[in-house]
Amino acid sequence: MAVVKLDKLARSVAEGPSLMTGAFPTKDWMEVPAVYKPGNYAYPTKPDILNYLDSQQGINLPNAREWNPEDDDWKLPDNWKDIIIQGMADRLDKFRSLKIFMDCCVRCGACADKCHFFLGTGDPKNMPVLRAELLRSVYRQNFTLAGKILGKLAGGREMTVGILKEWFMYAYQCTECRRCSVFCPYGIDTAEITIILRELLHLLGIGINWAMEPVANSNRTGNHMGLTPQAFKGNVDFLCEDIENLTGVKVNPTFNRKGAEVLFITPSADVFAEPGIFTCMGYLILFEAIGLDYTWSTYASEGGNFGLFTNNEVMKKLNGKMYAEAERLGVKWILGGECGHMWRVVHQYMETMNGPADFLEIPKSPMTGTVFENAVSTKMVHISEFTADLIKHGKLNLDKSRNSHIKATFHDSCNPARAMGLLDEPRYIMDHVCDWVEMPENTIREKTYCCGSGTALNTDEIMELRMRSGLPRANAVKYVRDKHDVNTLTCVCAIDRATLTTLCDYWVPPVQVAGISELVGNALVLEGEQRQELDEGLRTLV
Amino acid sequence: MKLQKALEGHKKEIVSLWLERTLNSYKSSGFFKKENDSFANPVGVNIKEALNTIFDLLITNAEQLDYIEALDQIIRIRAVQTFTPAQAVAPLLELKWVIKQVFSAKKDTEPLLRELDDLDCDIDRLALMGFNVYTECREQVYRGRIKEIKSGSYVLTDAGCPSKLLQDRPRVLKNN
Repeated sequence: MAVVKLDKLARSVAEGPSLMTGAFPTKDWMEVPAVYKPGNYAYPTKPDILNYLDSQQGINLPNAREWNPEDDDWKLPDNWKDIIIQGMADRLDKFRSLKIFMDCCVRCGACADKCHFFLGTGDPKNMPVLRAELLRSVYRQNFTLAGKILGKLAGGREMTVGILKEWFMYAYQCTECRRCSVFCPYGIDTAEITIILRELLHLLGIGINWAMEPVANSNRTGNHMGLTPQAFKGNVDFLCEDIENLTGVKVNPTFNRKGAEVLFITPSADVFAEPGIFTCMGYLILFEAIGLDYTWSTYASEGGNFGLFTNNEVMKKLNGKMYAEAERLGVKWILGGECGHMWRVVHQYMETMNGPADFLEIPKSPMTGTVFENAVSTKMVHISEFTADLIKHGKLNLDKSRNSHIKATFHDSCNPARAMGLLDEPRYIMDHVCDWVEMPENTIREKTYCCGSGTALNTDEIMELRMRSGLPRANAVKYVRDKHDVNTLTCVCAIDRATLTTLCDYWVPPVQVAGISELVGNALVLEGEQRQELDEGLRTLV
Repeated sequence: MKLQKALEGHKKEIVSLWLERTLNSYKSSGFFKKENDSFANPVGVNIKEALNTIFDLLITNAEQLDYIEALDQIIRIRAVQTFTPAQAVAPLLELKWVIKQVFSAKKDTEPLLRELDDLDCDIDRLALMGFNVYTECREQVYRGRIKEIKSGSYVLTDAGCPSKLLQDRPRVLKNN
């Protein structure tokens, strides 16, 4: 039976265990409980955050309470099992993809060794097939005839608190990066299994604060950081001052301006935290150089959508705000910054959640006349597509030597690469702005390794987990650092920019992390500029 | 001299048993042992390379500093996995057991078991160096944590939402 094969996948060939090294599997994977210790879980959501979100229209996040994953008693509601089984039934009914993913896996094992969490931990439950099995076994027991009759013999499992704890452990050891899906012959989207696991856990008030506080902040003020409109504008103004000091050119962005041609949306980390701010300076310089008629919004002031890591209701609401703002301001189309999962939401869920965005026009570059047919549905263009098109048409005066302090390699951020196929545009830009090399073939493009900290796992309390899950990516960076003296890892994702910095500090110092637009900003020759000697580009302290 | 020759002659056997036992410390180790592409299998291949290098250094009586890179290659990985500190560095000490195991199985090497004292001392020193590397790695993790907190991203979770703080302010003033 297939289940036997699954066991084989997980079984170690260890014999004659040593007392010194320990950690040998002595039980079948189903019998190994999830044990919570400081450092192996992210902190649960604060009750006031959850209560606030639950009170919001269109959002259902019940059962807020103080609880501790390390305690035996998670203070679950009495009818928790019914809630879970009903939650599964509702979702099987609503999402046809889930039903297919539950039924069609043949346990071929193609995904098993493709997950960066498995590669970094050696924990069989981090094999995508087994992570999915945590849910699938409960599905079999409750929703299939064979499972109802044969139970464990048919690979079914009765839902228990132990399984719930297992779900919380492993749903938060998946970054929904979808590398495994690339190798699945059936195209099972394992990220959606994780999404459903997290949704089910939220029905019982089980979630992590690092996801939910940004969600609450985004819902309230429009961005993860909870920046007020004044603070948001203030931060961008600071960056404009820095640009003026560095280049002698005054940049004057507008905010909430009705009638602008383009609305620009990027992760709020770009206007707030290093090294994202340098990427943001790159955007500002680029828009100034081409005279783009655009506006920022202090309400749609966040590209990131942690709803993707929470549940479909929250994802819909946070995505909807971008389009509501585009409609309110009367822009023609939306230009999106270097964000990761925003693009997964926009490309794969927006149309059915909030589409069609008929009130917008098909994006057309005012500088080159290029019509972005690929964005007919979403009306949203990626900054790298936009920039590559400008370069292709000779609209930018670029001086590559201004990036001579940089030898780069490019990290394909998971979501732009796998969820929207943005593979060549960033490379085309890099060809024109810096000297760079590729990492090994099986670690880039569609097969790129995740930073290990996506889906709101970029919190410091699970730093060791982040380091080990990021090892496959760091290992490839180390190769090009040693072989080609690479000193900069570029990417097109804000979570990458924040977390790869820490990852590189640990595994491959002194490699720095930069957004592509930062390198564009470095290389752009501006009209009327009085540029100082910038040894480190926009990062130069003057 | 005889011992060194025996170690060289049995290198393949010793290192492969050593690697086998080290990788057995992972719950599901089959893949780590099997896959030879270092980018598809960073844990397995890096540990394999490190153990090979360390063994070569041992039998050539290398200087202590020469070991650091190879020790880092294996210990940096184990320092962020779910091992206790002892388990993380244990593979280094296991080499003693491995060599004895291999030597005791054969007639020609069995007499050498009584001459292993010096080598055992070398391996002890190696383990102590490994513990230094381990501690350095852990400290680096903590420094990374502090750096992230200082860099401002902590406001995501630990600071109040500014607009909420603004709402709260009048009440605070009134109370005063």
